[in-house]
Amino acid sequence: MIGGRRPITGRKPGDKRIRVERHHTPYFRYTGPGQLTAKAAASAPTTATGRFAARLKGIFLGRPLANEEELGQRLSKKKALAIFSSDAISSSAYATEEIILAFILAGVGGAAFSLSIEVSIAIAVLLAIVAFSYRQVCIAYPTGGGSYSVSKVNFGRHASLIAASALLIDYTLTVAVSTSSAVEQIASAVPALHDWKVIIGISAIGLITLGNLRGLREAGNIFAIPTYLFLGSAFLMIGMGVFRIVFMGDTGPTPSPAVIEAMKDTAENVGILILLRAFASGAVALTGTEAIATGVPAFQPPEARNAAATLMAMAIILATLFIGITFLATSFHILPSKEQTVIAQIANHVYGDSVGFYLFQAFTALLLFLAANTSFAAFPRLAAVLAEDGFFPRQFSFRGDRLAFSTGIMLLGIVAALVVIAGGGSTHALIPLYAVGVFIDFTISQSGMVRHWISTKDPGWRYRLVINAVGAVLTFVIAIVVTSVKFTSGAWFVVILIPALVSIMLFIRHQYDGQAEELLVRDDLVFDRPHREQRVVIPVNGINRSVVQAVMFGRSLVSDPSMLQAVFVTTELEEAERLRERWERQLPGVPLVVVESPYRALVGPVVTYLDVLDRAWPPDKEAPTTIVVLPEYVARHWWDRMLYNQAAKRLKAALVGREHTVIADVPYRRSEHHDDLADANELP
Amino acid sequence: MTIRPLPGGIVTRRDDPAGSVPVAQPSSLDWRLQTIVADSSAPQFRRAVVALSGGRTDRSIVALAADLARAGHAELVGVHVVEIDWTLPLDADVAGHDEGAQRVLDIAETTAEASRYQLETVLLQARDVGAAIVDEATERGADVIICGLPFRRRFGGDFTVGRTIPYVLKNAPCAVWVIREAMPEEQA
Repeated sequence: MIGGRRPITGRKPGDKRIRVERHHTPYFRYTGPGQLTAKAAASAPTTATGRFAARLKGIFLGRPLANEEELGQRLSKKKALAIFSSDAISSSAYATEEIILAFILAGVGGAAFSLSIEVSIAIAVLLAIVAFSYRQVCIAYPTGGGSYSVSKVNFGRHASLIAASALLIDYTLTVAVSTSSAVEQIASAVPALHDWKVIIGISAIGLITLGNLRGLREAGNIFAIPTYLFLGSAFLMIGMGVFRIVFMGDTGPTPSPAVIEAMKDTAENVGILILLRAFASGAVALTGTEAIATGVPAFQPPEARNAAATLMAMAIILATLFIGITFLATSFHILPSKEQTVIAQIANHVYGDSVGFYLFQAFTALLLFLAANTSFAAFPRLAAVLAEDGFFPRQFSFRGDRLAFSTGIMLLGIVAALVVIAGGGSTHALIPLYAVGVFIDFTISQSGMVRHWISTKDPGWRYRLVINAVGAVLTFVIAIVVTSVKFTSGAWFVVILIPALVSIMLFIRHQYDGQAEELLVRDDLVFDRPHREQRVVIPVNGINRSVVQAVMFGRSLVSDPSMLQAVFVTTELEEAERLRERWERQLPGVPLVVVESPYRALVGPVVTYLDVLDRAWPPDKEAPTTIVVLPEYVARHWWDRMLYNQAAKRLKAALVGREHTVIADVPYRRSEHHDDLADANELP
Repeated sequence: MTIRPLPGGIVTRRDDPAGSVPVAQPSSLDWRLQTIVADSSAPQFRRAVVALSGGRTDRSIVALAADLARAGHAELVGVHVVEIDWTLPLDADVAGHDEGAQRVLDIAETTAEASRYQLETVLLQARDVGAAIVDEATERGADVIICGLPFRRRFGGDFTVGRTIPYVLKNAPCAVWVIREAMPEEQA
């Protein structure tokens, strides 16, 4: 469109040019024939309230990001080890404590010092088998082999939904457990914070949620640092501790009365059930093992090989840490206490009450928070995949302003905070819920891999099948054991929750399938002009600018004037007569139907009148489309909206879903210059 | 006339103190871009008019201009001219409805953004493209006009200079850079 400017004269007399205004430029950009891409300004709010809300949102969440601003950074093995392993490695901070607690709660505290190391070695062997099994997943699914995708390909819908439910529970509990444990580490260093554990935990989850809503990326160096700081200080602690035990004969701090009492119970009193319980409690060390297999595409090429190598490195580090910490705990005769966690007590003994101890506690807490943050990346991504597959509400697959799956992040934040409140900020209270889902997940994933090798028969499939089959059988047995021994202490909840979640997801899918079937358009159909006639009905409350505008709009919709009519519902016939006289004078050709309503109802008589019109329609003709045109006055301010259009709103609510009925709102916006206009010709 | 080598194999004909006319060597433009940016002696300007024809060279010259402009925080103006023949009045509503013309400028804007630089775009209607570009550059006080010269593959393949580039070279008061596209290997 020409900008209305005169031609601009050039340097030579005949050289004239015209600048053409490009009206779309601030908001859109042509990116192909008939294709526009919206700029940020196109979605900018236009009202003062909207701008204020957007500014407020910007302060908390940052400016909206475009799709192309998404980071596509590939991770080196070192960085990936730190980022993907934080969940698994951080579990070494509380797994030992859970083994010792299992013995103490069974009344055989002495066994904690003699058998915990054996239990931890058994768990390390299990970890090795699971890691070997997941190594196969990395190789077979270089596009990311989460349990959900592996089971979807190999077993179909139901098994994959069980895996998905277990994963969702696992991610939620990872946030709750890691945060609770991180807060316990902080409280171990600063005992004054003990009574504030729940508040601190919820605040931490709130901050992590906010950070993720801002589009916090886990790929940055900042996320790799805490893992290496923890690893460095933990290995130093183990090294120093082992040196003191072996060469200096250190047997730990002066035994407390509780330790002396516990040591009376010897390992001879320990039954198989207690051992299994200790094993099941310590098995939380395995949580997060699958993270690397899920994130294979994030690795630098060759992705599968690098991921497999990183997974093995992670397993070796975790096993060493876990056994090392358990060895120190048993050698130093450390028992869990309300004031200090086991790992904090070990650090306190090794480093003394020095900066080293406080730094170690800080690094442990940081790593645990990082582990919680890992779930904030995984949970919303899984929810988005489920939403794309139709098992979760669609809004879970939409990315927010900051390219984050905002709905999933908020749901995880809220549920994890509720779990922390329910657990009273205690890690131990949540552990029984934790490992059940993880082992169900392992089992489904490994069984899926067995089926994968049988069907693909890739080179070396027999060897790989054996590894996955062993992994599947073993994790299945452990899943049964973990569920049985922890059933009464909370595992029952997960056992109920998984089928409940599966049922909900199936129900959602059923709803979406039903809707898709209803809306399905056959591919071979060609749609010509509409053949259904149109009838326009305009409910009016008198003659005013808004009504006249609606009548003008209604007139433009029908070619046959007899198909247009206005309806006036009144309780006073005299008022109706006065209106009719004015109506016929000012709006000739538009029939006005007056409906007297002695019971003072407004909506009911209009809807019934439409029903009557439908019944009066010749039965041999196809029913017409009734367009109900509603005049609507647009309030100037947000606060005076409640003063207007209440009847129209009720009418709209009554008409939504009515067969062959279309509701058309005709908004009348009062502009400044209209105040002076009195001429109806000015109206559209 | 002095010959001054520019980085990246561009040879400059410096025949007026106001600017230089680089004539690109037939090598890969991308390679040249990297070389120029890496060299601190890259030519600098305050305001450049980039003549956009809608051809293959548009993206390259915008990317080149953006990289060169960055050092001196120079202003970039992309100009596309829709030529109006004498059968229509000059102010006929042509370019406003021409999606193709809008797209030329939008693609240039996107290219500049990809190079993390801002490009102002101007759409003109004129009887003569060369005159409109020179006049626009003059009015804006540009110190360089950057044009692209694509290789025409049809009819045996050749560089067709046409009317616009000679006009700009002859009449522009500022420096003019003509960035010639590399010749296809089979033609070279």
